[in-house]
Amino acid sequence: MAEMAARPVGERGFGESLLWLVAICVTLAFFFPFYWAISQGLRNPIDTFTVSGLGVPWLSFDPTLDNWITQLSSPESRRALANSTIVSVGASVLALALGTPAAYALARFRFRRVPNIDITIWFLSQRILPPVATVIPFYLVMRAFGLLDTQLALILVNATFVLPFAVVILRQTFLDLPLELEEAVLVDGGTYRTAFMRVALPLAAPSIAATALISFAFSWNEFLFAITLSSRDSLTIPVFIAGSVDTRGVQFWFMAVRALIAMVPPVLIALLAQRYIVRGLTLGAVKG
Amino acid sequence: MRWTSNARFLFLAPAVVWVLAFTVFPLGYSLYIAFLKIDSKTEITRERVPMFDEAGDPIMLANGKQRMRTIIHKEQINTTTFQGLKNFKRIFKDNQVATSVRITLTFILSSVSIELALGFLLAVLFNRHLAGRAAMRAVMILPIFATPLAAGYLFFTILYEEGGPLGFLGFPFLSDPDWALFSVIFVDIWQWTPFCFLVFLAALQSVPDELYEAAVVDGANGWQMLRMVLLPILQNTIVIVLLLRLAEALKVFDIPFALTGGGPGIATQSYSFLAFRTGIRFFDLGYASALCYGLLITVMIIIMLTFRRLRETYG
Repeated sequence: MAEMAARPVGERGFGESLLWLVAICVTLAFFFPFYWAISQGLRNPIDTFTVSGLGVPWLSFDPTLDNWITQLSSPESRRALANSTIVSVGASVLALALGTPAAYALARFRFRRVPNIDITIWFLSQRILPPVATVIPFYLVMRAFGLLDTQLALILVNATFVLPFAVVILRQTFLDLPLELEEAVLVDGGTYRTAFMRVALPLAAPSIAATALISFAFSWNEFLFAITLSSRDSLTIPVFIAGSVDTRGVQFWFMAVRALIAMVPPVLIALLAQRYIVRGLTLGAVKG
Repeated sequence: MRWTSNARFLFLAPAVVWVLAFTVFPLGYSLYIAFLKIDSKTEITRERVPMFDEAGDPIMLANGKQRMRTIIHKEQINTTTFQGLKNFKRIFKDNQVATSVRITLTFILSSVSIELALGFLLAVLFNRHLAGRAAMRAVMILPIFATPLAAGYLFFTILYEEGGPLGFLGFPFLSDPDWALFSVIFVDIWQWTPFCFLVFLAALQSVPDELYEAAVVDGANGWQMLRMVLLPILQNTIVIVLLLRLAEALKVFDIPFALTGGGPGIATQSYSFLAFRTGIRFFDLGYASALCYGLLITVMIIIMLTFRRLRETYG
């Protein structure tokens, strides 16, 4: 099966070309929904159902940017975009501020009463817990503190969700860094804080940045808590999309545009952080 | 992991305190709620108060009495009664729960197995010199990070039965209960097969080509290659991917919410969806908390069963 891997690039038989074709088709199939959203978003409402086949812009219909302009200029969607951005940035920053030192502690120090690995798995299991289990207590607590429908509530919630992710991933990052440099700082009389801030952090910066990006994407995509905790002022993009369906029915042309507006930031982030995706999504178990 | 200074607690404490406050405490609180019956009712009281003019003097009516107005006070009163295990017992008698468990299990078993199998096949397919492989791999990353809720609505337009791009197939993708569940699974497969694919591909690529060559030289056929070389190499990765997918699939909520709204009827109402509806839509908070605990215990059992494997993988 995999013997082809061993062959040099130029030497391709018929079988190999066929496999290449299959790979292309699979890739296109997975891309199709995005293509369809792009095509639909460019149509006049009247073309929604009349266009047959693949709906190629210019060939099948005259594309228009009207839907995009309407959507991007509406105050509701701008507010939702602003909310989503603030919530996601806030949650990522908070989670990293708390998580990076904890990850460092787990990578460099030895905890005696509870072994490091068990603390790590404790964090890891937070990531696996079903979020719906905390949605009711969160709702009641936020209501008690008058935080319903605020960005702060969503920042706190999302920070809680991405914190375990940051801890587990960054622990692995710190473990992969050479110990000698930090030890040298300590030998020279520096504190652990200096070793962390001056040596480990700069070396881990690329990985920390990738973790922040992925945390941003996770928070951006979060829906269950967003719809539970916000009603008007703190609507994020996914809640905005869900809400616009309830009130006006599904308007396919707008839906496509909204879906793309929602998807573009996290998808771009995924491409930016490509090298870290596998590691990130397996919580460091598999190195991509 | 060699330093033992007490500074370690300063590094670790903030995150631990945070998790205690924002995860452990809510879970405990949720358990407490699960033993309660919470009734919310709005009590309305009317109060007659005298009216004053701008100078602050009472406004008099012609008959010499003060002019009065009515203020309506609305007060939400929550009464909670402790009712022991009643909420938990109710779970076992609830038909909706039975249906949602069946739906969730069908969903998990079919989507996760297909995602792993398909992801594996694709990884093997892509683990060779393909022109433009980096670009194709990049495209495959996209679905994983597409906002699940938006993906659900997007597929609503794709699976739309009259005029959608797949409409020519003539299947009742969203209107028939079984097809609707199939559609939810379909979207999940679209979103998560790339994840399995990427991880398996990464694991395959960490193996030197020589290993495959050696197997070929030894005359291994495709099947032997799979059983003797690929599966052993990927064993640990498969377990991790399986665990992560299981945990994630158990939570399925966004996709059915957007694609089918749990319908038709309750044909795609997953367990999380049911718990959400019970608690947040119908405000049956005690019962919803009990439902959530059912899910939580399931996940904890999964974590416990895989604990040793997790220790090895992350240790």
